[in-house]
Amino acid sequence: MMSLACRSGALTPQLKATNVAVSGTLKALTPGIFNTSENVKKALNSKTRPSCVTGCAGVRFAHTDIKIPDFSDYRRPDVMDPNKSSQDSSESRRVFSYVLTGSTAVVGVYAAKTVVTQFITSMSASADVLALSQIEIKLADIPEGKNVTFKWRGKPLFVRHRTEKEVAAELAVDLSQLRDPEHDNDRVQNPSWVIVLGVCTHLGCVPIANAGDYGGYYCPCHGSHYDASGRIRKGPAPLNLEVPYYQFPDEDTVVVG
Amino acid sequence: MKGIRPLNHLSRRCYVAARRSSLTEPLSVNPRNAPSKPVFQPQDIQVSKLPSGLLIASLENYSPVSKIGVFVKAGSRYETPDNVGLTHVLRLAANLTTKGASAFRICRGVEAVGGSLCVTSSREHMVYSAECLRDNLDTVSEFLFHVIAGPEFRPWEVSDLTTRVKIDKAMASQCPQIGVVEKLHEAAYKNALSNSLYCPDYRVGNVSSDQLLSFVENNYTSGRMAVVGLGVKHSVLKQMGEQYLSIGRGAGVPGAKAVYRGGELRMQSSDGLVHALVASEAAVTGSADANAFTVLQRVLGAGPHVKRGANISSKLSQGIAKATTEPFDATAFSSTYSDSGLFGIYTVSQFDAAGEVIRAALAQVTAVADGGLSAEDLDRAKNQMKAESLMSLEASEGLLEEVGAQLLASGAYSSPEAVLQSIDSITSSDVVNAAKKFVSGKKTMASSGHLVNTPFVDEL
Repeated sequence: MMSLACRSGALTPQLKATNVAVSGTLKALTPGIFNTSENVKKALNSKTRPSCVTGCAGVRFAHTDIKIPDFSDYRRPDVMDPNKSSQDSSESRRVFSYVLTGSTAVVGVYAAKTVVTQFITSMSASADVLALSQIEIKLADIPEGKNVTFKWRGKPLFVRHRTEKEVAAELAVDLSQLRDPEHDNDRVQNPSWVIVLGVCTHLGCVPIANAGDYGGYYCPCHGSHYDASGRIRKGPAPLNLEVPYYQFPDEDTVVVG
Repeated sequence: MKGIRPLNHLSRRCYVAARRSSLTEPLSVNPRNAPSKPVFQPQDIQVSKLPSGLLIASLENYSPVSKIGVFVKAGSRYETPDNVGLTHVLRLAANLTTKGASAFRICRGVEAVGGSLCVTSSREHMVYSAECLRDNLDTVSEFLFHVIAGPEFRPWEVSDLTTRVKIDKAMASQCPQIGVVEKLHEAAYKNALSNSLYCPDYRVGNVSSDQLLSFVENNYTSGRMAVVGLGVKHSVLKQMGEQYLSIGRGAGVPGAKAVYRGGELRMQSSDGLVHALVASEAAVTGSADANAFTVLQRVLGAGPHVKRGANISSKLSQGIAKATTEPFDATAFSSTYSDSGLFGIYTVSQFDAAGEVIRAALAQVTAVADGGLSAEDLDRAKNQMKAESLMSLEASEGLLEEVGAQLLASGAYSSPEAVLQSIDSITSSDVVNAAKKFVSGKKTMASSGHLVNTPFVDEL
């Protein structure tokens, strides 16, 4: 009983046919052929004796049938010539790319910051509200002893031009007798001008000027008496009238707020 | 300083400075320190048969590469007249989706471990073989068994094979030997063995997946299969065979008995070389006559034995050289199948000398039939046969094929020693009788080329 090779001698390979299903790296393959008609003609013109044809394997002879497209439209002039080394121009190409990318990044970051800031600041107070936040008062129009009321930030603002007598009286008040002890100098910048919010600290009514037992203000709602400095003297209110922030840009004007 | 360790070990690295003796004498190696080499005992081929009828054979050859071949009695002779060409498509369909793995997974999985999977089909057998490194055998054999035991033959995948069938045929048509051998078989037999290994033109694209499935169902049964493993443990192979290949009990559909008719087929073309093959019915595989025919083949000359040689010293070549001065080549052709065989002469000649060449070759065979066989010719032929048979077993492909073919033909494997003995037992009268049988038998002829000077078979 002898082997097939031995039995059939020289024509043994022709008595069987082999096809490779998955080509391993050890088998020699004839170049695979694909569906286009030129390639079939090319294979048929080759004089090699067929031994086996590839199956669906990962072998593909890229140098014969895959055409690499022409990318010259997209190439930089430095690398247009395939025969020239690209190392010479590599640094300049790299620098250009990096500078371009870097500057784009910087500009991009700045733009992003601007956009974000604009969106966030849109949530803050609008201009008309900000405009209402300050009030400028001409002091020359207010005579001595008179209390003028202005509307400021939705609340009444009392501006009182105090007489010398009132100033002296306020300075002489004993702090230990006050419910909310505060010296007059702490409440006014210029002693002849008292600027306070006209909101009673008890329950928010507006006190009446030049009324009450202490020569200041009297709140009619519950009977709180304030003095000429706006300090509480008698009545249910717990605190003195609030003093807002103000400044005198010059002799004749005061800016409150 | 711990951190600068290399500096501290600098003195150890100065090998050249440390060497005190010159290298003109060999260094003495203490045998106790030398690593012990593992000793491998040569193993024999182990054969066993599973209850399902599957034959398993394995050989531990200590190779880092494992090979598994599954041999199925499903060659082209088992095609019926309405599904000719099916085995060609089946051969190409080895990488299609199976029940256990998709086509992509098979290809990717086998390639990932560097294995390979290929299919060879002859007229009798279909051989699926896979090889890979020993450690990756599980992966690759799993895919192999999926391909054999669970193919799906999805219709769109099968129709994609049409192009590959055409390519195969185109490449086979480039080889005149293939053409002549196929035509010889077509002319010699009425059925079974007349089926070609390649799909006929009218069937390209018409092999359907149902036909493939029914062919596989009828023919791929355990009783008709043998699994051979080289570099595989026998127990592992047995377990794999039981697990994966217990498909279809019994012997399946028996093939038709091949009926020899003896005819002629001529393929006229403009080729200046005429390839002609004249044969007649010979012996069945495994019989004593088959060995005699193979010796006769060697006596007459069966291909060059020197690389790039011309075998001008063979009987055939010497006889033909007297008849013509133009270039030619001639060898004896022999093939055996399970119920028939062919023996003949294959000649290649210039078209105008074709007639002389063929007649001279046949005259040489007649000379042997008339008793013109010297003892030294016989010895030479026997030695060549022994050498070739042993050399074919040296390579793993040859060994795999041999073991598989023997298992399917006779159910057992006979060792090379037995083969050598059977070669030795052939006598000169056996060979002469074989030659007589050829001379007196009904001849078949297949020829291709420009056949103006080629005789017809009834003129020989």
